Order: sequence, then structure tokens, then C-alpha cells
Amino acid sequence: MTNLTDLAIRERLRQFIRETFLYMRPKQALGDEESLMRTGIVDSMGVMEVLAFLQDTWSVTVADQDLTEENLGTISAIARYVMRSVSGASPDREARDRNA
Amino acid sequence: MCGIAGISRQDELGVSLDQLGRMAAAIRHRGPDGYGFYTGPRVGLAHVRLSIIDIASGAQPMTNEAGDVIVTFNGEIFNYRELMAELKGKGHQFRTSSDTEVLVHGWEEWGAGLLDRLNGQWAFGLYDGRTQRLILARDRFGVRPLFYAVNGGTLVFASEVKALFASGLVVAAPDPVGLDQVFTFWAARPPRTPFLGVSQLEPGCYAVWENGRLRSHTVFTPSYSEDSVEDPRALEQLDELLTSSTALRLRADVPVGAYLSGGLDSSITARLAAEASPFTLHSFSITFEDPAYDEAGFQNEVAAALGTRHTVRHIRSEDIAAAFPDVIRHTETPLLRTAPVPMYHLARATAEAGIKVVLTGEGADELFLGYDLFKEVQVRLFCLRQPNSRRRPRLFDRLYPWMSAAGRGGEVWRRSFLDASPPDDPLFSHMPRFRAASWVKQFYGDGMAEPLRGVDALAELRDIMPAEHTSWTPFGRAAYLEILTLLSPYLLSSQTDRVGMAHAVESRYPFLDPRLFRFAASLPTSSKLRGLSEKRILKRWARGRIPDSVTARTKQPYRAPDAPPFTSAGAPAWVADLVEESAVARSGFFNPAAVGRLMTRCRQHQGGPREHQALVAILSTELWYRTFCLTASAVTALPESGADVVLSSAPQPTAA
Repeated sequence: MTNLTDLAIRERLRQFIRETFLYMRPKQALGDEESLMRTGIVDSMGVMEVLAFLQDTWSVTVADQDLTEENLGTISAIARYVMRSVSGASPDREARDRNA
Repeated sequence: MCGIAGISRQDELGVSLDQLGRMAAAIRHRGPDGYGFYTGPRVGLAHVRLSIIDIASGAQPMTNEAGDVIVTFNGEIFNYRELMAELKGKGHQFRTSSDTEVLVHGWEEWGAGLLDRLNGQWAFGLYDGRTQRLILARDRFGVRPLFYAVNGGTLVFASEVKALFASGLVVAAPDPVGLDQVFTFWAARPPRTPFLGVSQLEPGCYAVWENGRLRSHTVFTPSYSEDSVEDPRALEQLDELLTSSTALRLRADVPVGAYLSGGLDSSITARLAAEASPFTLHSFSITFEDPAYDEAGFQNEVAAALGTRHTVRHIRSEDIAAAFPDVIRHTETPLLRTAPVPMYHLARATAEAGIKVVLTGEGADELFLGYDLFKEVQVRLFCLRQPNSRRRPRLFDRLYPWMSAAGRGGEVWRRSFLDASPPDDPLFSHMPRFRAASWVKQFYGDGMAEPLRGVDALAELRDIMPAEHTSWTPFGRAAYLEILTLLSPYLLSSQTDRVGMAHAVESRYPFLDPRLFRFAASLPTSSKLRGLSEKRILKRWARGRIPDSVTARTKQPYRAPDAPPFTSAGAPAWVADLVEESAVARSGFFNPAAVGRLMTRCRQHQGGPREHQALVAILSTELWYRTFCLTASAVTALPESGADVVLSSAPQPTAA
């Protein structure tokens, strides 16, 4: 169940990123581990759009302290963050535990 | 201020007055007060006049005593009285009291050495019949424009590109490389222009046309050799220079007004002008419907403090959209911002008030490190000294305080500066801006992608950085790049000269006096920028002279609403027409589907500044292309019968 949801989140995120940030480059490859910020796909204003999308789609609110590249830097990272949020875990605490 | 044009041929078939008349007609807006021609066997010159100095006898083209040195001149030589006295002392006979005549006698006396003696803003074409050479020259910072094209053995030049097209000798076509520079630096970098086969003389240069070849020579290039400590007399020197520079720029036989933005720089020039002017100073400001751009409070405070007669032009969103096509016709380039449009309206208001000349504050931010870009360099270098610090990058959040809080700050924002380029990159200071501007290139269509294969605007800029730039401080390098890429080709052109001269209003810049530049370039950085405090010595000078609220305020750059004027419900019909899929596909610059999606997003209030900038760039490119490349030049020649002066010289034998 978790894997299926994770896949669905990634798929939805990919679609959103393509429609919002890559509509002018439809042929560009977009890997789940590709850095969205370092490649310039998402800029600081774009982060605001990502946050609004997470809120509208999965009712996920990103706390200020979680606004990091680690949480939002790739499709995989965002999907993990969403998964943790919807499962009720504390996203920042889990991230800290994982990095410990 | 005026407009100039000319043609020089290799053969001796002469230049037709009709051809010169068409070129003059195309730039008549620059000089509505009169016009004149010179025709010779090889050279024809045209001039449209905005009479400011020696109104009675300053008509052009103008010659020396012997009639063998002839000039057509756009601009002002502010130290003309001193040069005239010097030349009279050497035996030259003057027939007028105009600054123009200084050029012909000065050329006779000093040749190209004249240019170094000039304090002013100039673009001229000078034919030296003694050597059969045509000289083109342009001032140090490129205040006055000068374009040219070489077609076979013929040189055509003019103040504006439209006059080249009116000659019938130059065909309007886009240059993808020039356009790519616009989408990198905000403007094509001289000598490049967005038009294929059309060049502009680089600021601080002159070129000699002889035997069908044009050779360019550099007279001035900005250089930065900073003192280690501030001279104890620096503030006093600054005062003398500002006073003298302003006094020179008030030399005119018509009243001189001032633009007042509400910021420090124009408040200083207005203050100096109000003090020195024999008249009540007339000041002019733009206010905005959108409070995010409006500075009316500061403007009113300064105007009241200086006792100026103050005129305000209020700008609404629809004023920007309505005038945009006219502005593109005058700027002759795609734009990434709409900021020139309100300046176009301001110039109209100035002309309607009967003022032909205004002082403005341009140049101060480049000389005294006023822009946020310089603070950005400060913070980036500070972070690089301790790359592991988590605290230092937070300083980026304090930059650009005038921008919307959304997206300004946080890790992604900070990283956009930190990752922009390594500190040993000659373009270190400007890479964040160049990257931001270049974002629009993602919309390129097939018409751009193919011709630009192997073209790298940034690599070309790195290649032409002067060798000595490595000995300058990072701030000297940043200031140099700012002058080279933005001040000269964009701010002084699209945002002042071209929109001002659309209404025959001349701008003068006290901060761009060469003595003031040398003074500022030699000041230690700390006299200009310390921490995040900008223009320190200017603020010290201003204290007690202009209202404290203005000296204390943080620098706010002049901006105007970008996308909203074109995406609101009341946008003009031509906007939808321009971005229509088949129209975009026909011109080939951009990907039609992507442009459609961009337009939709902007209409739905999505996206941020980079998408708004892309929309302005795309709309202006399509407008520019239609205006110049798809529409034939149709002007009626100014007739010989109406000219103030028509000079001609007898055919001369062809050189063997």
C-alpha cells in the first residue's frame, strides 16, 4: 500500500513539475533524483508554487524549518516528505533520525 | 540634442539629398527645431536639430574656416567655452558660439587627441576633406547612440537604426547572436545590435573610415585603481566635483529641468541644479497606481525641500501596455523589462511643460556601488570565506528588500547566489543576473536554436575583459561589468536617450563627468560600500543637504509592472495577436506552444518574476520584429527647401 502511494505521489509530482516548470522544455528528462534547484528547474519563487501544490493536493503544510533542499530538492525527497506527512509522522524528526 | 546621419561612398558619385532627407526624416523626433545637409563627392551628412546652445547660429552640418572639415554632431560638449578659448588662443577663427564648432577646430588642432579633452556626451560624424577620412566618435559611457552599417564600399551611419533602413542601403533582419545577447545581458553588447549587419560604435571609441575600411580605436575604457585609504579631503573633493559637474551640465540657452525619482541620486542632482540654476527648477516625477512601485512620498518631500516647480506623471497599468509598441519603435530592441515605458511618458510630460533638457541621477549607482548586486557580491565573498557557515548565507535574505517577500529568502534563494559561479570567474559578480535573464532562452524556437549552435555570449564577454581586470578589486570588476553590460547599452539607451528623444528631451548626467568617475574609481571600496550600506560617501555629502528620510532609506531601484499590463482583462488586442500560435511559429524565435502556456500561466497570476520577464521579452521581440523586419520603412524625405543649412563641396579628384 505504501509503495503504491509513493509511486502515485511521484507520478503526480512529475506531472506537476512538467506542467509548471518544464512546459517550455517538454523533451527534457526528469529523474526522481535530479536536483530541482541546482538545475534551475525550480527557483525560489517556484518553491512557493510547490508548497501551494502540496497543500492543495495532499493537504500537506510545510513548516518553515522544513524548507530545505533535503526535503524539497528532488521528486523523491518531496514524495518522502509527503508520505511522512500524510502518515502522521513528524517529517523533520524522521529526517533527523535518518541522517543521524 | 539632435540626430545625425550620413553616408560615405568609395566612388565619387555623390550622395543624394533625397537619401539624406529620408534618413533625417526617420529621426526627426530627435531634432524638431531644424535640419540641414552637406553633400560632397564621397560623403553626405544630415542633421536634425534640437536647439539648446547658440540657438541663433548653431545650425549643422558645420565646417571649419576653410570648409574642409565638416561635422554633424549629436550631444553636448560641456567644457566648450574653455576649449573655444584655448583654440582661439591658437589662432582659430570661430563664427558661432556653439559647442559644435569646437569639434571642427579641435579636430584640426589635435586630431583624435581632441576626444580626450572633451567633457560631454557626444556622437558625431566628421569628414576631414584634407585626408578624405570620415571619423565617427562616441562619448565615454555611450550616452549618445551611433549606429552604422557597411554595405560594399559604402558606410551608412545614424543616431538610430531606423535611419539606416530609411537610406535604402540597409535591410532590416534579425541577428540571432545580437538577440541572444539581449536575452543574456538585457541589451546587445556594442558593437553588436539585434539587427543583422548593423553595428553600434562602442562607447569611448572613434572609428576611421578610409578607402572602404572602418578601423575602430579605443580612447577610454573604465579602469579601477583604488586607494588603500580615503583621502582626508575626499568629501571636499566630492563636493567640488559634484558642483562643477552640475554647473557644466546647466550650460544651455534654454531652461534645464530635473528628473526626481525620490531616491538619493536624483535628489542630489536636483539639489545641485536648484542651487545653481538662475530659474526656479522644474522637476518631474513618475508615480504609479501600484504602491509597490510608487515613490511619491519621497519625491514630494524632496520637491518641497528644494522648492521646485514639480510635475507628476501618474502611470497606470494600461499606460504601459498602450505605449509599449511606440517604445519598441524608439528603443529598436527587444526589452526584458517595461521600465522604459514610464520614462517615455515622463519625457512627454517634460516636453509638454516646455523643458528640453533634464538632469538625472544615472551613473551614481555604478560609481558609488549603490545596487543590490554589489551587496550580493559582498555577501557571496563573505560566505566563501567560511563555506561551512550556516549563519552567513542568511545575509542573502536581507538583499533586495523591495522585492515581494514570497520566494525571497530560504535555502533555494541563498543557493541561487552561492552556486552561481566561482570567485575566479571574471563574470563572478554578474552570473546570478545573467542566469536569471537567460531563463527566457528555454523558450527559443527553431529559428534561434540552430543559428546559435556554438555561440556563447558569456564566453565572448569573458574573452574581452581587459587584462588588468585581475588587478582590480571584485567591486571594481563588478562596476566595470555593470557599466559595460547595463549602463551603456540599456539604461542610457533604452531607458533614457531613446525614450527621451522620442519627445525631443535631452538627459544630462552629472555623475558621468569623467573627473567624477576617476575620483569614484580611485576611492577605497569602504568609502562606497561597507557591509550592506551603500553609497556611503554620497550619503555623507547629502546629509543636511537633502531630507534625512531620503539619505536614510534603503536603495530602491526604479521598476515598473512587467507582465500585468499585458495579461489583465483590459490588455490591448495586439497582445493576443502577437502570441497567437501561428504568429509565433512564423517568426520562429520562440516555441509557440510554450509561449501559449506561459501566457495562460501569467493570465492566471501564476509564476514569478522570471516568467513575467520572459513574457515581456517575448512580446517585445515579436513587436520589434513586426515593426522593423516585416514592415517596410516608409518615410518622406525632409525637403532641401526647408533646410536651415545646405552645404556642398565641388567634386574632388579621386585619390590614386
